[in-house]
Amino acid sequence: MNKFVKGLAAAGVAAAMSQGAIAACGEVTIAEMNWASAEFMANVDKIILEAGYGCSVELIPGATLTTFASMDTKGVPDVAPELWTQAVEVPLLAAIASGSLHSVNPKPIAGAGEGWVVPDYTMANHPELKTVLDIIERPDLFPYNEDPSKGAFVGCPAGWGCQQVNANLFRAFDMEAKGWVLVDPGSAAGLDGAMAKAVDRGDDYFGYYWSPTAMMGKFNMEMVDFGVPFVEMDHWTNCITQANCMEPQQSAWSASEINTIVTDSFINNNDPKAVAYFGKRVFPAAEMGAMLVYMGDNQAGGEDAAIEFLLNYESLWTQWVGVQAANLIKKSLN
Amino acid sequence: MAIFDEFPSLGRTELRDLKKGIDFAFKDFSRDNGEAIESFFDPLMFFMVWFEKLLINAPWPLMILIFAVLAWLGARSIPIVIGTIVSFLAIGWFGMWEDTMATVAIISVATFLCIGLGIPLGILMSRSNRLQAGVTPILDIMQTIPSFVYLIPVVMLLGIGKVPGLIAVCIYALPPIVRLTNLGIRLVDKEVLEAAESFGSSYRQKLFDVQIPLALPNIFAGVNQTIMMALAMVVIASMIGVKGLGVPVLRAVSNQYLALGLMNGLAIVALAVIFDRVSQAYGKRLQKHRQGGHGV
Repeated sequence: MNKFVKGLAAAGVAAAMSQGAIAACGEVTIAEMNWASAEFMANVDKIILEAGYGCSVELIPGATLTTFASMDTKGVPDVAPELWTQAVEVPLLAAIASGSLHSVNPKPIAGAGEGWVVPDYTMANHPELKTVLDIIERPDLFPYNEDPSKGAFVGCPAGWGCQQVNANLFRAFDMEAKGWVLVDPGSAAGLDGAMAKAVDRGDDYFGYYWSPTAMMGKFNMEMVDFGVPFVEMDHWTNCITQANCMEPQQSAWSASEINTIVTDSFINNNDPKAVAYFGKRVFPAAEMGAMLVYMGDNQAGGEDAAIEFLLNYESLWTQWVGVQAANLIKKSLN
Repeated sequence: MAIFDEFPSLGRTELRDLKKGIDFAFKDFSRDNGEAIESFFDPLMFFMVWFEKLLINAPWPLMILIFAVLAWLGARSIPIVIGTIVSFLAIGWFGMWEDTMATVAIISVATFLCIGLGIPLGILMSRSNRLQAGVTPILDIMQTIPSFVYLIPVVMLLGIGKVPGLIAVCIYALPPIVRLTNLGIRLVDKEVLEAAESFGSSYRQKLFDVQIPLALPNIFAGVNQTIMMALAMVVIASMIGVKGLGVPVLRAVSNQYLALGLMNGLAIVALAVIFDRVSQAYGKRLQKHRQGGHGV
């Protein structure tokens, strides 16, 4: 009861102090994607928009394709803090061209990317394996438990945007003929579990993953160089990411594009300062990695992690918001 | 009174240390014993791999013939046999044959495993009130606990694939057969038992010649429910890497492929209806025969 009353009073004071800013910010819906870094970012955005700009924020759980489809067709949620845009490239470009969606930040997390990973000890024990081209010659190092004569490459869970890319690259590198099986881990939990189990036991493991994630940091996974250059963008978007790609060509994974995407109505109906915040909010790789390991070690949810971040990295996030908003946010944290 | 404003809970740190302690203990356990447990299940896994390959590689007309014969043996009903044939033809026609065979493979193995474990457990439970009191809550947990709560430890222990999938399916599908076996035996008329005793039946004769035969309709309802529950877990099992109809369903769900989801969902329903009708009809036939015999 006490806390509630205090909260109300605080809200009242905040409202009185920054009437102008608040009048412009209404209800905002933010997509909280179902992986750690996106949960964390969504919660940071929520606290900053609520405390700093007086918005009323609702988090909406989502996944890349479902959230994008909803934003594209219904305009809800307003903000996708961490949208991996390659999976939805064609419709996204169309939506941006038509003005219904906007990218307000082309790189919210520095140093992020997808690729094929192995544990660091695999690289150390087998110094001859320098690139993907070397690894795919050695399926014997990564035996598939259901058929030990084959090597297991753990791809993407069914339905993820990367599933198609992995399947096509698997064909492009002619891995089936080389004795590999493309394993579908079924879900994020299956993918993480497969990797955690292998690394915990010290087994060699070869599969798809992405950075920044607590998993990459915690298990010291290394992204392997593909040993071939990135094929041209046209082939990537029109073939490798598509289901009906007849002749996929060998390619490195494209540099990942993460965007913070907002709807047109968010830009038009909200405080321009809140919109500007999204443009400045860039998490450096090191800080993002540290927060993800914090979440993993402490089993912290996005909200806990956001509070921890705002308490410990003040010099970073205060650069993203104005002085007035920074003060309001600091006050709300106490 | 501060104590009423906020629930007296463990502090953040204590709670965190508790959770971490449990997690690390489990990790150590899986690191030490994981390989041994995995190799214990290896024969089962290779059997499942072999069985799945057998079903997928067998010529499809032969498989449909086998299903039709099984349906006839179970149900003795022409409409059910025709329905079975038409369903499988439709499944094949819409390109879901391999996934369906993979699903049939894991469902059959799961059902036999559950029957093999569940009926003896149910019989033991019907013998002892104390055992019943102990096992019932465990069955409640198995049926209600969200599957991912135990799937993650199972995956940490055994990796992804068929065996963890089978365990997931069985945890959910085992309770009905245990419950209904127990119930069926307990429902056998006391007077019938007294009659058997007065004729000098031994304990074993009473169980196998009187109680179990009279409980068969209930036991069969349990088998039927176990099959249905196992089919309901197909999609969950696919979330930890089991091949079958669940995989395209998952793909459809995350991509809004309406047609793909609907087709594979309906294939699961078709399997369920076939298994259900056949096993129910078989159960009913058993009941009729017994009813005639005892005039109950």
